[in-house]
Amino acid sequence: MSHPKAQHVVDARYMEPPEPFVQTMEMLDTLKPGEKMLLLLFREPHPLYKVLRQNGHAYETELLADGTFEILIWR
Amino acid sequence: MQALLSFDKTPPFAAPLRFFITAPLFSLAAGLLLLWVGPDLLASRWTPGLLAATHLVTVGFMLMVMLGALIQILPVVAGANLEHPLAVARWLHASLSAGALLLAAGFLLRQGALLGTAAIILGLGVVAFLVASGRALAGVPSTSPTIRGLKLALVGLAGAVGLGAWLAVTIANGWRVALPSLADLHAGWALGAWAGTLLAALAYVVVPMFQLTPGYPARPSWWFPGVLLGLMVAWGLAVCLDLPEGIRLAQVLSAVAGIGFALLTLRLQQQRRRARSDVTYRCWQLGLASAILALAMTLTATAWPALADLAGWSIFAGILLLVGGFMSLIIGMLYKIVPFLAWMHLRYRGSARSPVPSMNKLLPEADAQRQMRAHAVALALLLAAVIAPDWLTRPAGVALAVASGWLMLNLLGAVRRYRQHLEKLDREAVAA
Repeated sequence: MSHPKAQHVVDARYMEPPEPFVQTMEMLDTLKPGEKMLLLLFREPHPLYKVLRQNGHAYETELLADGTFEILIWR
Repeated sequence: MQALLSFDKTPPFAAPLRFFITAPLFSLAAGLLLLWVGPDLLASRWTPGLLAATHLVTVGFMLMVMLGALIQILPVVAGANLEHPLAVARWLHASLSAGALLLAAGFLLRQGALLGTAAIILGLGVVAFLVASGRALAGVPSTSPTIRGLKLALVGLAGAVGLGAWLAVTIANGWRVALPSLADLHAGWALGAWAGTLLAALAYVVVPMFQLTPGYPARPSWWFPGVLLGLMVAWGLAVCLDLPEGIRLAQVLSAVAGIGFALLTLRLQQQRRRARSDVTYRCWQLGLASAILALAMTLTATAWPALADLAGWSIFAGILLLVGGFMSLIIGMLYKIVPFLAWMHLRYRGSARSPVPSMNKLLPEADAQRQMRAHAVALALLLAAVIAPDWLTRPAGVALAVASGWLMLNLLGAVRRYRQHLEKLDREAVAA
């Protein structure tokens, strides 16, 4: 699955916790240098943000009209 | 995997648990009060017994669970970490417990001094919480409707408790003020600006997350808490300026906003992708349907004030909103939060040799479903008691006490299983 913002996408909008976190961490492990990934959720994942900051990842979040949070993640 | 839950900043389990375990004792006490006082309790909105029972439910049960839950989930839903969560929890829990009991005793015994003391104790506890949570949220930008809603809900809490304390001091000193309109305003702030706003702010996160529904649309979610708080401010101004039409308009618009939120949540639930209807889903269906009916009754009585004078109209709507609406929604959340926290804390301590029991093992769904049916029976009996108080007030009190005690036993069962597994892990660690 790809998206205009990123080649790699985890659409976790209908997943139960902790699946969104697990799939995001797995996806991050597969990213090549310079690649970005996009996480889609119906909430802001504050615990994940903290882990991303600890691991040296950057992220940018946008709230869409339907309530989806698009979280673009890169290193 | 442990980092998954950002565990290092997670408050200890004891911080929220004390609130969740003791809250049902207060609704149980409300049930016993109905049993003790009997039909006279439901004679009007203003009987000492009904005022005492109402505050046992609103302060002892609702406020207790809501503030306990906030201590736990502020880091998760807002990235805001309370400093010294256990110390805040101990102080707040003691304040809410003593304050709720003194408040009930003050109403029941018609002792102004007890009401004044309750106001001071509750005020001190809530102010301590507001300072702690305000400091935690101060540096957090409002990047989501949930964070914005939480901040505005805390303003609502300050207003509700401030108005309540002022009412208590007014009664204690025998000052002559328009008590009914101030009491209505206090109830509006407590149930709308505080409880309703908090519920919405958390629903934006937990309804899609636990019930696998679509998300709440961004724009209405963003505006709902602000509109509700604005309406409460307008209601307060109309009371100060003695504008009855302004009061009625603010009440009508608040009820319409609440019904809109509840209908939207029901629509989202209809689109859920979870095939099974678990106890949380059922509790929310009951809670939302009750709240819609209660708000529709309030709306009707505001438009045609003669209805509000009908015996039992406002008591019926109040029971629907508090026991049917808020209590059902809170019980539904407790059945997710308590086993989830137990599971999370065990997972943190867990080892490969002892897999963590599932949430359903920690708090079996069947136990929760049976308790939820008891709660629904209590609600039905309480509503019927308004129509036939001589026959049903005492059975309704017993039913509320049984359902509340059952809730506490279910939660204690989850804690017992959590502790058993923890001891098992400790034994394994010693053996290793």
